[in-house]
Amino acid sequence: MIGTSRRSAGRRPLDKSRKERFFDLVNVPLLAFSALLVAYGSVMVWSATSGMAGGDGLFKRHLVGVAVGLVPLGVAWFVDYKALRHWSGPLMSLLAFLLVSPRIPGLGTTAKGATSWLQVAGVRLFQPSEPGKLVFIVVMAALIAEYEGRIERPRDMWRVLGYLAAAIGLILLQPDLGTGMVFVGITMAMLLLGGLEGRRFLVIGALVAVSVTAVFAVDGTLDKIAGKDVALKQYQKDRLLVFIDPERDPAGAGYNLQQSKIAVGSGGISGKGLRAGTQSNLHFLPERHTDFIFAVLGEELGFVGAVALLGLYLGLLLTALSIAASSRDLYGALIAAGIIGMWAFQILENIGMSVGMMPITGIPLPFMSFGSSAMVTNLGAVGLLQSVWSRRYGT
Amino acid sequence: MPAFREQLKSRFAALGAVVIVVLGALVVRLWTMQVLAGEKYAELARNNRVREISLDAPRGRILDRNGKLLVTNRPSLAVALDPADETIRSLIVRAQSASKNDDPTRAEIRETLGPVADMLGMDPQQVFESIIDARIEALRPRAIAVDVPLDVIAKLSEQGSRFPGVRVEQVAVREYPFGSVGAHVLGYTGEISEEQLKRSDPTAGYELGDIVGKAGVEAQYERVLQGDKGRRLIEVNASGRPIRIINEEAPIAGRDIRLTIDIDVQRVAEEQLARAIAEAHRQGFTKAKAGAAVVLDVKTGEVLAMASAPSYDPAVFLGGISQSEWKALTDPSREYPLNNRAVMGAYPPASTFKAVTGLAGLEAGITHSGRYYRCEGKWTEMGEQWPKWCWKRTGHGSISFDGGIEESCDTVFYEIGYEFYKRKKEELQSFARRFGLGDRLGIDLPGELRGRVPDAAWKKEYNRDYPEWQMWLPGDTVNLAIGQGDMLVTPLQMAAVYAGIANGGTVMRPHVLKDVLDADGAIARSYRPEAAARVPVDAGNLAVMRRALVRVTESGTAASAFRGFGVTVAGKTGTAQVAGKDDFAWFCAFAPAEAPRYAVAVVVEQGGHGGSVAAPAARNILAKLLGQPIIEVHAKDESR
Repeated sequence: MIGTSRRSAGRRPLDKSRKERFFDLVNVPLLAFSALLVAYGSVMVWSATSGMAGGDGLFKRHLVGVAVGLVPLGVAWFVDYKALRHWSGPLMSLLAFLLVSPRIPGLGTTAKGATSWLQVAGVRLFQPSEPGKLVFIVVMAALIAEYEGRIERPRDMWRVLGYLAAAIGLILLQPDLGTGMVFVGITMAMLLLGGLEGRRFLVIGALVAVSVTAVFAVDGTLDKIAGKDVALKQYQKDRLLVFIDPERDPAGAGYNLQQSKIAVGSGGISGKGLRAGTQSNLHFLPERHTDFIFAVLGEELGFVGAVALLGLYLGLLLTALSIAASSRDLYGALIAAGIIGMWAFQILENIGMSVGMMPITGIPLPFMSFGSSAMVTNLGAVGLLQSVWSRRYGT
Repeated sequence: MPAFREQLKSRFAALGAVVIVVLGALVVRLWTMQVLAGEKYAELARNNRVREISLDAPRGRILDRNGKLLVTNRPSLAVALDPADETIRSLIVRAQSASKNDDPTRAEIRETLGPVADMLGMDPQQVFESIIDARIEALRPRAIAVDVPLDVIAKLSEQGSRFPGVRVEQVAVREYPFGSVGAHVLGYTGEISEEQLKRSDPTAGYELGDIVGKAGVEAQYERVLQGDKGRRLIEVNASGRPIRIINEEAPIAGRDIRLTIDIDVQRVAEEQLARAIAEAHRQGFTKAKAGAAVVLDVKTGEVLAMASAPSYDPAVFLGGISQSEWKALTDPSREYPLNNRAVMGAYPPASTFKAVTGLAGLEAGITHSGRYYRCEGKWTEMGEQWPKWCWKRTGHGSISFDGGIEESCDTVFYEIGYEFYKRKKEELQSFARRFGLGDRLGIDLPGELRGRVPDAAWKKEYNRDYPEWQMWLPGDTVNLAIGQGDMLVTPLQMAAVYAGIANGGTVMRPHVLKDVLDADGAIARSYRPEAAARVPVDAGNLAVMRRALVRVTESGTAASAFRGFGVTVAGKTGTAQVAGKDDFAWFCAFAPAEAPRYAVAVVVEQGGHGGSVAAPAARNILAKLLGQPIIEVHAKDESR
């Protein structure tokens, strides 16, 4: 079936103009939305870091991250995504390595309670779990594409979930709860497009709820027996639970949540103006250029600025969806769906935590948060989408 | 067109829907937070970053009736610790935090506060305790010492780096140009107590550490003198460090007030009271230590002088009174110098009350000016088993009503009192109450006592646990008639009674406030004199009493004290018997008798006889008021 469709769609009219050929290769809305988001993010990082000691340096590093990210964008675009399908084995190994590497002695380093950085010879390189997300998407796409859009047998679903569970298991070693949750978001989006029956999502939802409870219970018991944090750190648990009970840990996670909500809420309709956010510039907001960048935006640019950002995200995600829909094969569509899942989940989680809708986890806001690993990964994702778009007619 | 697209069309739609729902949910949430609840969060953000410091207003000054400054402010150099400094703030914040582990250690306190404490001669721990009170505004500099000598200030500022957070501030402290003169009327100031803070009007904005009036006029007119605080809004960052001043409202100075007191008369009153006590000692009454003197303007109720002995120096309260000084001022053996006996002392009025009894008798028709009584020394009208004695044991012989006043003959008033008893209408008591006795006159000073006019109902209630003593007996009314028994009055009340007699029966409400002044010295509002009591009394009867009272100073019990005095004075001596104590000396008067202007009351506790101890003091006070020479008087009087 795939073979025939390839033949019928693959024939290309010979009389295309140069302009038409350009649009065959380049998805202008995708690049435009990405560029606007990168620009918007740079402005916010500049505003958020302007009052910080060494803020200039941080802003420059952010711009360097953008520049570096152009490389994976170009490479992913240039490489034929279809070829990746045959590299599933090595890619899985790469994924496993990326997720475990910070724990390998001599390679990892610990920051803020989680061992999530790759460090070689004393130089901090990047957070491997970020590009790990893309590798995860590519691997899962190959897996789900096997079912050709119909996952009817329960064992097929269990197989997919097994891979997901394995990946989460590895990431919890760091432990990086946020990235684990992003993996779930990615998988859900891909299963939705990959043909899993609607009612099965209810099963998965129940499963997630049960396993979260189980993890907390088991972890709590282990902590009690060992007398220290065994797997999950206490601060991670506090951050998750403070969302339900704001009185918990009022000086730590509860403080962050409260300050973030004050920042966003006090922005009002039009905000206090760039660099004029009192919550941000007087240091009430923690992590204001990274995880809580949205709180800075909400405070300084208000509801108008926030809706503008969500508008850009809507444009980006719908463009990605249209790319998925125009893909020549299910594999490409699944890659696009995985990227949509990744971005949508991160947007929901990051903005959601800033406004008290979601538990606090350290997930960056795509294109907005300071952080080169995430920026490089997101630009790589844009490259992958371009790769799917450019090759929609086959060569 | 790949077939999977057709097949998965609904799946694309579902994914798109998920995206739209996610973003839509965020928009809704942002709408509620930023648009609907934006104001609330804006307020929270403001509270986060803005701290308020109140700025004290200069306290109003107190002037005497002639504009002489009695209480003013002088600049003083104070040393304060400023929480804007990192180390000081850290000490305060950690001491106030709930966690005990954070508390600064003794060594740390010594290291940070030791140098400045040494310079000021204080204990570092004590300095620490004084700055960590959580009820003080976070950023308000904590004053730790006032009136710091210049050489200490110089060292503190020269070696600023050794003394973290130390600020030298110029503050205003109370100054008393006349020292302790008038202390009881003026009162003193001090830091607001917790109880005062609780009771204070919440809109007045009092805070811990505020200096407020504690007694006298300072307390009575606290709100007028205090002024309105200014405030300074300071922006701070997340760690509480001040960034900039956002806004400042200047304080509004307290109003100056002008009193009815004439400081020159006040000084004479205090001197004469002291001399009366010395005179009592000379006459053998060595327990005399305390007393009071009051001068009223009979037409307006203005208090020209109000003295109370022993006295105190209000300046000891500046910058906080020390424990030992406070103990000295409240020790029972010191006779409670802080009490203003003119309003807080309650004494039996003794014979000074005979003017009231006499007027009541005239009004009731029990007696009249030409009526003669027979004084044998011993009076047995109530029965042989209950004899009463005149102070003159040998008796006055045949004596008129006027003579009874002049010589203070007890027998005359026993007769009148017994007559009142027999009428069973308690007319004497109600007449006394019409003069304002037994209740507060409503003077504008704190702590005024009511005194007591005893009657049958009172006696029953007072002796409710002793049924055998509950009955009102003839002797009770007879004792009351000579101002003894259970009768109690304040010196102010007695002065008001004589002012009332002088003023045709109208007792003007005594007051010490003349007016409140504006910033430019103009009168903002004045105390409007009003009647505190009106006694319906016949003018003829008043004239009889006035004439009789004049005879007291001309040829009666006070004649020796008023010998050679150039103005006619109407007065009455009194010698009060108090169980377990020496007699209390009284003298009440008004002058000039024909056109009264001033009323005076003097009492000396355990001072002996009114005519020889209290009357000379009153004479010299009146001399000051009426332009007569003040002389040393040694008078004689054996009456009671």
